[in-house]
Amino acid sequence: MNRWLLWTARYSLAIALCVMFVAPVAFLLLTSLMTDSQALTASYWPHQWRFANYADVFSKTPLPRYLLNTVIYAVAATGFMLLSSVPAAYALAKLRWRGQNAYLVVIVCMMMIPPQVTTVPLYLMWANVGLTGTLVPLVLPMLLGDAFSIFLLRQFLLTIPGEYLDAARVDGCGEWRTLLRVVLPMARPGIAAAALFQFFYAWNDYYGPLLYTSENEHNWTLSLGLASFKTLHHVQWNLVSAATILTMVPVVVLFFFAQRAFVQGVTLTGVKG
Amino acid sequence: MPHKLRHALTVASFMAPATVGIVVFFLYPLGSAVYFSFTKFDLLSTPEWVGLRNYRHLFDDPFLTRAATNTLWLCVIMVPARMLGGLATAMLLTGLRRGSGIVRTIFYLPALAPPVAATLAFVYLLKPGVGPVNTALAQVGIDGPLWFNSPDWSKPSLVLLCLWAVGDVMVLYLAALLDVPQAQLEAARIDGANAWQRFRAVTLPNIAPVVTFTAVIGVITTLQYFAQAAVAASAASGQATTGAGISSTFGYPEGSTFTYPLWLYVVGFRYGALGYANAMAVVLFLVAFAVSLLLLRRSLKVT
Amino acid sequence: MRRIVPLIPLLTAVALLAAACTPGPKDKPIADPGADVSGTVEFWHFFTDREATAIDGVVADFQASHPKIKVVVKSGQDDSKMTQAIGGGQGPDVGLSYSTDIVGQFCASGAWLDLGQYLTRDKVSLDGFPQTVKEYTQYKNKRCAMPVLADAYGLYYNKKLFAEAGIAGPPKTLDEFADAAKKLTKRSADGTIQVAGFLPLWGFYENAPSHLGPMVGGQWLKGDGTSAIGGDPAWQTLLKWQKDLVDWYGYDKLEAFRASLGDEYSDANAFQKGQVAMNFDGEYRIAFAKDQAPDLQFGVAPMPTSSPDRYGSGYVTGNVIGISRTAKNPEAAWELIKYLTTDTKAIVKLANTLKNIPTTKDALASPDLHLDPEFKVFVDIFNHPKTSTTPPSSAGPAYQETFQTFCDTWQSGGAADLGKGLSDVDKQVNSLLQLGG
Repeated sequence: MNRWLLWTARYSLAIALCVMFVAPVAFLLLTSLMTDSQALTASYWPHQWRFANYADVFSKTPLPRYLLNTVIYAVAATGFMLLSSVPAAYALAKLRWRGQNAYLVVIVCMMMIPPQVTTVPLYLMWANVGLTGTLVPLVLPMLLGDAFSIFLLRQFLLTIPGEYLDAARVDGCGEWRTLLRVVLPMARPGIAAAALFQFFYAWNDYYGPLLYTSENEHNWTLSLGLASFKTLHHVQWNLVSAATILTMVPVVVLFFFAQRAFVQGVTLTGVKG
Repeated sequence: MPHKLRHALTVASFMAPATVGIVVFFLYPLGSAVYFSFTKFDLLSTPEWVGLRNYRHLFDDPFLTRAATNTLWLCVIMVPARMLGGLATAMLLTGLRRGSGIVRTIFYLPALAPPVAATLAFVYLLKPGVGPVNTALAQVGIDGPLWFNSPDWSKPSLVLLCLWAVGDVMVLYLAALLDVPQAQLEAARIDGANAWQRFRAVTLPNIAPVVTFTAVIGVITTLQYFAQAAVAASAASGQATTGAGISSTFGYPEGSTFTYPLWLYVVGFRYGALGYANAMAVVLFLVAFAVSLLLLRRSLKVT
Repeated sequence: MRRIVPLIPLLTAVALLAAACTPGPKDKPIADPGADVSGTVEFWHFFTDREATAIDGVVADFQASHPKIKVVVKSGQDDSKMTQAIGGGQGPDVGLSYSTDIVGQFCASGAWLDLGQYLTRDKVSLDGFPQTVKEYTQYKNKRCAMPVLADAYGLYYNKKLFAEAGIAGPPKTLDEFADAAKKLTKRSADGTIQVAGFLPLWGFYENAPSHLGPMVGGQWLKGDGTSAIGGDPAWQTLLKWQKDLVDWYGYDKLEAFRASLGDEYSDANAFQKGQVAMNFDGEYRIAFAKDQAPDLQFGVAPMPTSSPDRYGSGYVTGNVIGISRTAKNPEAAWELIKYLTTDTKAIVKLANTLKNIPTTKDALASPDLHLDPEFKVFVDIFNHPKTSTTPPSSAGPAYQETFQTFCDTWQSGGAADLGKGLSDVDKQVNSLLQLGG
């Protein structure tokens, strides 16, 4: 009886929250099917269902091109981030060396300067090497570690009990082998979270592509394409909403499948608990 | 090879890329920011050294005081709200069996939406008079507030907005909670610990590093809170469809959503006082640094 | 290893800064009159979609008449992007901005080249431009920008609601305006506003001090560029008039009413829905109103004024175009600008497609310009000798936005002393001028 009550309470709460979480997305979906002039009025239900908005988004922008650029940006940024940040996070969490605390503080500090200020010197730097107008300034830095990800991964690696690593070391594994063979499988939930965050960040990033690629439409991403549905005095929110929905679909699907990494990461390896 | 040197080389091999990154993407911009903060600079002309003038003006700028107050308010309320909200939803999710994949995805949905569109949608759902939330409240006899249109309610409304997009924090807690060793929980249960005691004694210590992370990141992102405040103000003031130059609506209503980074942006890029904006940035950096050190001190002792 | 780390960033920073901040070559000698101009021009503008197509059409005409010049057009570029690009040495040859707010900074810093020498060489007379337009395209007598289309602001009024309230025509004085606003207002039994004759809140739609300033003829800046706001009693007249009207409605009632209104450019625009009987707006509203609310019977008129000699005037602003100091081909850039800003055929074509006001006297008088009766009112406002604009400032729109912030506080009752509040505005504006540009 008690168990059943708990079950009911949990699911009612979950369903109530689902409604709240879905509502604004539903609003976007409805707006994406309205006429331009009905968007952002007090009537939330389309007077006439204008599915043509989705066709308009495709005909007005080279959407496949933007999609390809966005995928390149998101995949490369995520891959590069993992390559550079996982080892750094491991060294900060699981190795002993002088100055590692100071180093961590510096990493955390990297996120503290407001981006409005760092963009100026960094833009000047990329302009000087002639790489503005490309995706390189957005992707290449990821090979050199990402502060947010390093910090996140380090915090997750801290939760891995040291005995497993000592066991591996006793078996004669070097630190790199320990990282690859022991730590990576065990840290799968954390790594998956960091990778997803990086991927979604790149996917929705607007200011980065605006700053570095806006003069070269060939390299535009989806988020930048979203901003093109405006005129001098007027933003066409129905088209923006349609494009937003189209942008969201791939990442929602991705998340639906990728979330298993959190659950299975633990149950499959079976090393914990 | 001596053991010490080998260890140093190993550490160096792990840290080398990140070290280059720190130099190019942190120390160089930080150095520039500090340098520009002592100059008069508009991005277009050569910087001109003005000594401490920009810093002196920080104490004589009523707009800055207002913006800093708003940002402080957001930090104090928003950071804990998001942490608690994320933890609560994550714990709810770990208790679900059937359909948890769908529910997880739906909970995460708002965090996946581009912030500009998501904020706009949220403001419209809370629109006073005609929006569904106030219509529903009216049905049960409650006269809904003006939400984003009231200077008293605009910041709480922003907190609701950030709770709605709590999915990113939730995912972190979810990953951490699933890492908590079941054996320890089971042992505690056998020892007769109730749910709260099990949480305090087993769960919390295990997820502590992630809690620290969300606190530090929460403070940093709230200190840089920008896009949502800007979009909410323009949408609530009825000018979200206006194409060009949104900054005239920044802070609506009555400056209650004017945050520190908004003022930094306006001063630096609209008024051409980039030197002053850099001084503001250096101060913000120092504040964030102090707060983070405070939050991190326990995590540092662990290692 | 840890020891040398701090040295690297310092060296890099110094090297990069030195490279970045070297000012561009100044006052390059320009070509002789009649020299052959050829090559590629990169042209950035902010238009997108349908409006970008209109620009493409005019650029195609230009290329047909200038076959040796190739124009590369990049649409959707905003001002902050252009500023960063010019600062980084990667700016376009020609840039078009939607805001006159950048003119002060771009002229003062030399980010846009001085066009004076080109104008003199090619004998382009500035007499062909109305006075207001000349004012917002130059800064401290340095002409670094040219005008491309303009907006004029006037009063829209709902003819049906006017007839119901028994009001003969649009108000011409501040008193008539307030009376009409009250007569046109309808409230429900509990006092909530159903229809506002005029919604006097600052920040509502186009109710910015810059747009309403011409009602009282308020001065913004002194000759030396510092703030004139506190010293000009006209602003006090406007603010007191506005506050009286706000208090008549009740500030909280107005805010609640405003919160329920639709977005400015949706078809729930409060004026188009008949929720607001009189409203200030630009000439572009005509096209939106006719399209979104075909049944609406509206008239347009100049804004009411505090003194009869200014009646007929209004607020004017527009798009500006200039040559970056980083331009690789300034001669060809100038040819393009000359075409877009002085060729009557090109200007009229753009004005007709974008429904904005053309900026030369010849184009304004052109028989090809589509002139319906409402649009004609705005052309007359545009041509009025007392019509004014917001002057370029080295701190951009700082003076307008600082003042607007005070206006927000004032209308909510948060400022008791009007005179002190306005002198505080002066103080803040002047210190921003010192810190910036």
